[in-house]
Amino acid sequence: MDIFQRQKPLFSKSESDKLRQMCVLIAGAGGLGTHQAQQLQRIGVKKIYLYDFDTIEPGNLNRQIFYGRNDLGKSKSEVAGQRLKEFNLETEIEVINERIEVDLKLPGEIDLIFDALDNFPARFKLEEIAWRESIPLIHGGVEGWFGQLTTIIAGKTMKLVDIFAGGQKETKAAVFSPVVSTIASMQVLEGVKVYLDKNPQLLNKIMSVDLFNNQIDLIDLKN
Amino acid sequence: MSIKVKFYSLFRINLKSAGTEFEVEQPVVISQIIKWLDEGYEGYFSKKLLDKNEIRPGSIILVNGKNVLHLNHLQTRVNDGDTVTLFPPSAGG
Repeated sequence: MDIFQRQKPLFSKSESDKLRQMCVLIAGAGGLGTHQAQQLQRIGVKKIYLYDFDTIEPGNLNRQIFYGRNDLGKSKSEVAGQRLKEFNLETEIEVINERIEVDLKLPGEIDLIFDALDNFPARFKLEEIAWRESIPLIHGGVEGWFGQLTTIIAGKTMKLVDIFAGGQKETKAAVFSPVVSTIASMQVLEGVKVYLDKNPQLLNKIMSVDLFNNQIDLIDLKN
Repeated sequence: MSIKVKFYSLFRINLKSAGTEFEVEQPVVISQIIKWLDEGYEGYFSKKLLDKNEIRPGSIILVNGKNVLHLNHLQTRVNDGDTVTLFPPSAGG
């Protein structure tokens, strides 16, 4: 039986075929990245490149779904790769234990980049890569009960650094699993829509998500 | 016509308000808008947005979608009909 049977009604045959050819880069195997990776694997994309250079700490376990107590001190990318591969699904998984820097050399086949980082300076570096390589970047950030998303496409949208300059606080963001998983899901949804050119919503718009009051707002970035 | 000021995320929850509007007869600068907001919200915005007369890291001020750090900081001009967006962006992941 085709494991994607239950999602088939959402897509045309050519869209389904295209999704099976989709190659993504997930920048970070933390809260956002582990959720994104799990969903993209279930969607059945062709290949996930998952980048992280960090090791697993106790403070990660409230939201980073691939890791448990027994993984403390281990490499995030290695453990995340093992978990994903254990499911034995269609998507090819490649993990890279490397920090995202501006001069990062990308594999040539990436269609979409997912922001799963935890600070704006690192995101601005990721954006430089996405802009240089003309690969759409799906930004997401979370803090407390809130999150925001936007889509960055070279030549078509404003840049993250244009919008979020000065956005970095000195303290670490409070992060809570249901908020993280919601924003990660919304990023994957937007990413699929951008890739298939199927009603993408967030070019030159910030989606501000307030999960305390269950309220979503779109902020126009170009009048 | 007027200047619309919109609040998002924590600002909206703290103030129980989605924003306000100011009637203006001539262009004003962002620092003036913060002063007007402070009058209506008991000094909230200068505490949240300012640090020694600069914009505090961790807060974003957009005028018509453009970050004022890329314009003229607190001296950015705001005209009748413009929209000012204030929010603390979510940085975590």
